[in-house]
Amino acid sequence: MAFAVLAQRSRLLLAGLVLLHLAAISHQVDGGGGVSLLQRGLIEVVSPVQRAVSAIVGGVGELWRGWAFHRETYVENRRLEERVRQLETELQAHSVRAQEAERLRELLSLRKAVPLQTVAAEVVGREGVPWFRTLTIDRGESDGIALDAPVMSPTGVVGRVFAVGPHAARVQVLLDRDSGAGVLVERSRVPGVVTGQVSGQASGAEDLVLEYVPERSDVAVGDVVVTSGVDGIYPKGLVVGRVRYIGKGSGLFRDIRVEPSARFDRLEEVLVVRHSKPALDTPRSVQ
Amino acid sequence: MSRVFWTGLAIGAAVLVETALAYLVASPGRYLDPFLLVVVYCALVGGETYGMLAGATAGWVQDALFGGRVLGISGLSKLLVAFGVGLAAGRFLISGAAARALVVLLATVADALLVQWLASVFSVQAAGLGPLALLSRATLNALVGGLLFALVDRRLAARR
Repeated sequence: MAFAVLAQRSRLLLAGLVLLHLAAISHQVDGGGGVSLLQRGLIEVVSPVQRAVSAIVGGVGELWRGWAFHRETYVENRRLEERVRQLETELQAHSVRAQEAERLRELLSLRKAVPLQTVAAEVVGREGVPWFRTLTIDRGESDGIALDAPVMSPTGVVGRVFAVGPHAARVQVLLDRDSGAGVLVERSRVPGVVTGQVSGQASGAEDLVLEYVPERSDVAVGDVVVTSGVDGIYPKGLVVGRVRYIGKGSGLFRDIRVEPSARFDRLEEVLVVRHSKPALDTPRSVQ
Repeated sequence: MSRVFWTGLAIGAAVLVETALAYLVASPGRYLDPFLLVVVYCALVGGETYGMLAGATAGWVQDALFGGRVLGISGLSKLLVAFGVGLAAGRFLISGAAARALVVLLATVADALLVQWLASVFSVQAAGLGPLALLSRATLNALVGGLLFALVDRRLAARR
């Protein structure tokens, strides 16, 4: 008897929770945007934790590398090892600083080249489910970042902001299956749309698909693909990638794959456009 | 109260593991789902009601921090998986490490299929997992889950 009551209660709970989820998901799908209070709250609470974990993992890695490098020297000569360790630590610190400076210099040169108001942000979290490709950055509304703000790296377009909290934001990477951007083939000015093409395989190719390009259009392997600005999100002229493969499509359009310029797996810093204005066109392609 | 605290702590640990893993491997979600391990354990030891609540919470946290544009897809899939696991735990004796690892394996497959099905129902574009990728993810989840559950059980038994 008691078991039947419990079972009935759990089924009622299941039905209630399923309905609640369906309503919540439908609301978001129909609403077509906006950031829920829950998501804002969670981003705000957890992004500092993610930032701390990033710092700890980085620190532990540094310590481990330092120890492994100095082990043999320590056995050989204690005094020399101490000296070497000191120098190596300094060198390591300089090297890290130099690498960081190089990355920031690249970012700065991109910032100068792009005639838009931008803010530099650090990547503090990456996607944790295989179905979506997202990043978490350490800048939010208080830094002037708004929903749909384009995100760039020195090598190319990264994606757009799809959720924003006061001090952190989440970015939908171009590789995400749900993302899309209006583009042009820079040489021939053939327009199209790039969408994500993450296969989900560990070894799968992570190319973008260039869609809606007619069969007879002038596109060649190696052509540079840039944003066209027609989607109202990405400013015109930002580099997206290069055409890697052209095949025969199933219908009126060609099957074109684009190798993205941005190195998504190695992103550490990005530039986010503040309050993007869709009508604003860059005068030339930004390489 | 204590159970709620430990479940919250376990979900927090899953967030940390997922964040830290991103520094070691690209796209760690392809290989391991620590949130699912928490949900399966809760459903195995606490039954379907407790499992469903833990599943919905863990799924929403995963959606909000690591998921896509639409929130709730992982929440719903983990809720349903937890219900199934809780139901099975009430009807069968699932106490051995191998049996629990098998449950984790099946739960991983079910979760992946549910997410992909729900994404298609709601017209959310989601990358599909190939059979090999899904199998390797399920196997790794099962191995880690089996080991982790045994460790937690041993620790709890020692405390008692």
